[in-house]
Amino acid sequence: MTALSVEGVSKSFGGLRALSDVTFTVAEGETVGIMGANGAGKTTLFSLIAGHGRPTEGDIRLGERSLLGLSPDRICRLGIARTFQIVKPFGGLTVLDNVVVAALYGNADRPSQRDAEARGLAALTAVGLADRADGLAETLTLSGQKRLEVARAIATGARFLLLDEVMAGLTPPEVAEMLGLLDAVRRRHRLTLMVIEHVMKALMQLSDRILVLHHGELIATGAPAEIARDPTVLRVYYGEGA
Amino acid sequence: MDVLLSGQLLFAALITGALYALIALGLNLVYGTMRLLNVAHGDLVMIGAYVAFWGLTLFGLSPVVGLVLAAAAGALLGWLTYLGLFRRLLASPQLMRRLEGNSLLLFFGISVILQNLASLAFTASARGYQFMDQVYRFGDVALTGNRIFVLVVAVAICAAVYLLLRFHVFGLAIKALIERRDAALIVGVDIDRVQLAAICLGFAIAAIAGVLVSTTEQISPFMGFPFTISAFVVIILGGLGNISAGLVAGLLLGVLEVYGVALTSAAYRSVLIYGVFIAILLVRPQGLLGRGSVVR
Amino acid sequence: MIRSLALPILFGLAGLVLPFTGSSYLIGVGFALCCSIALVQSWTVLSAMTGYVSLGHAVFYGLGAYVVALSWGALPMPVGLLLAGGVAGVFALLVGMPVLRVRGPYFVILTFGLAELVKYLVIILESELGSFSRLMFGAPDLGVLYAIAFALAAIATAGALLIRRSRLGRGLLALRENEEAAETVGVPVVRLKLVAFALSAVIPGVVGGLAAMRTTYFEPMQAFDPTVSFTIVTMAVVGGSDDARGPLLGAAFFTILSEVLWARLPQVYMVVLGLLLILFVLFIPRGLAGIFAGRPGKAA
Repeated sequence: MTALSVEGVSKSFGGLRALSDVTFTVAEGETVGIMGANGAGKTTLFSLIAGHGRPTEGDIRLGERSLLGLSPDRICRLGIARTFQIVKPFGGLTVLDNVVVAALYGNADRPSQRDAEARGLAALTAVGLADRADGLAETLTLSGQKRLEVARAIATGARFLLLDEVMAGLTPPEVAEMLGLLDAVRRRHRLTLMVIEHVMKALMQLSDRILVLHHGELIATGAPAEIARDPTVLRVYYGEGA
Repeated sequence: MDVLLSGQLLFAALITGALYALIALGLNLVYGTMRLLNVAHGDLVMIGAYVAFWGLTLFGLSPVVGLVLAAAAGALLGWLTYLGLFRRLLASPQLMRRLEGNSLLLFFGISVILQNLASLAFTASARGYQFMDQVYRFGDVALTGNRIFVLVVAVAICAAVYLLLRFHVFGLAIKALIERRDAALIVGVDIDRVQLAAICLGFAIAAIAGVLVSTTEQISPFMGFPFTISAFVVIILGGLGNISAGLVAGLLLGVLEVYGVALTSAAYRSVLIYGVFIAILLVRPQGLLGRGSVVR
Repeated sequence: MIRSLALPILFGLAGLVLPFTGSSYLIGVGFALCCSIALVQSWTVLSAMTGYVSLGHAVFYGLGAYVVALSWGALPMPVGLLLAGGVAGVFALLVGMPVLRVRGPYFVILTFGLAELVKYLVIILESELGSFSRLMFGAPDLGVLYAIAFALAAIATAGALLIRRSRLGRGLLALRENEEAAETVGVPVVRLKLVAFALSAVIPGVVGGLAAMRTTYFEPMQAFDPTVSFTIVTMAVVGGSDDARGPLLGAAFFTILSEVLWARLPQVYMVVLGLLLILFVLFIPRGLAGIFAGRPGKAA
């Protein structure tokens, strides 16, 4: 079943065309990886889906419902949560309060504070931050803050997560840990994921399918193994000589 | 209608505009180089005005000499506040996080202190003096000498500072700091010295403007605030930290105010200024924000 | 929890006992203190919880005073006061939409400009109406005014305490930390900011009306005096605004200082105010309450 459909989406900033005529669908339960060099339009795509900015052309739908013109908080309550490439923790709040807010406001069923606290703790446990619950979020390491981003997205009760480079800047053991954690979380909550990642191996391992963006255009789609052999991808991604 | 087309009104607008451009120039230097929101700027205008007043009444010094004295007083105050307060503020990562807000609170404190110290020392009553009040006629335009003095000095100082920023090494360093703070650091600009120079220059300009104001208007310890507001309108209109656009915006506000008051009445002056101020802030919050959030 | 309630309870008990002293001087001081507490607590609902620092709360205070002055004699006193709060709240809702789009220091100077604009508009309106200062005959005596002010201070303090722990408060604190992130976890930031703005305006409106009754006249320059806004911010900075204790300490500190200095040496009082503001911003950013609370800990 189709969870999300992106139909002919273009986005221009002034004269700059960040995305042009991008079309794809994501099925429920699927994990879709997004590849592309810096400036290929990956984060722009996430922003548009999450409601930060409106496509210049095209439509984005969750199930049958168009998301165009909805505010980000509305889209979150409909079940789409994103993380930020540059982490944005609520630095002055405790780690627990970070996820409790997400549970309180992100869930469409308006949980009580006590309930939200329980859901928040569960999300922290899922990413292995439960023991840091009472510390201030700004005191976490980068790896901790990346995990907090994921926990916050989970705590909103969203079934559809947009993960923007949650492994960038992590050490190899931390990447392995994050991979294991994401895999466990998506199984337990039966999540649909879209993942932007520069760590190729991780992306290949995690994704069912991969989209390749290049200068704002979708140039290839396919299973990780196919993408790894795709001549177009090899040319633009690894340079003309490859 | 005739009044609106007269050269008299045009000159009034030019004089007010040149004065606004001058005052805003000082504010822009301080904001541009350090991101400090100096809400005490108008109070420096007040200090300059009192320097000229006392120079003349106590020692018989002409306001022309007063210009130099006021500039020195302004620079001294800049030096003191930079060493006493802002160097500390700019050096503390914790306070830097909310630099603009904190600087605003600090300057608010300074503003209240200056106003009330002036009121304690000089009493709150308004004062004035006579200077170059003979009338000159140019065609159908009649101007008192003091207003010509204001126009000439304001234009001269604006031009001098503009040229300084454009061609002198030190001016270039200030410009570099305004435009690319991080890059300026890398290429070896002595930021501390440039910041000190910028704040001294900015304060001195405000004090000079105060001397000009005192030649045509009554002065009082609480005269500064409207100038602070006008200066903020100008630099927001021209773009924060954008020196040359600020000069144009100053003239624009002068025209707007003089013609606006001529069309309505003097009672609407404040409403007009605050109205423009609020309108600009509301219309361009993203633009303003974009600049503000680039530098942390 | 117990510790953070001790101070409010202490203040409350002192406030209840005060009328029995029978000293109109003390009750007058108590009235001023209660008004300040009510103002600063209300201010924190917006400015401490969302980070949108208002330097224009005089506008709500002034509007409240104006509403009470206009309705004086035409409406019963309690109705006039409620109306004052209502008008202040509605005004906040109306202007909040555009004003709250502006962030950071620009919001600060915008609120200030807005308060000044309204002041000059009221001055023009009053001169068009041909009235320059409205006298209010037959204002209630000090005892009654004190009782109302005490109730307002209590409501504002309890409100600030409760909001901090509520769903609303958690949303506000999150958007203070990062608006974009708050939005993506479902916090309706635009609506919450507006609610906070309106909530923080209502009680200052009533306090303004009350203050007009105390002076028995309304005059725009005085009712919309920017010093009101400035004093609120200074009390909050010096007292601290991380929890409900700060405003109590800040208001008490400045009310005592003002009793000692204001009547005799108003300029000296203002200079001290300025110096303290500078001192606390630079060296004690968490305020008096921060000194008592010890190390920086949980914000909520």
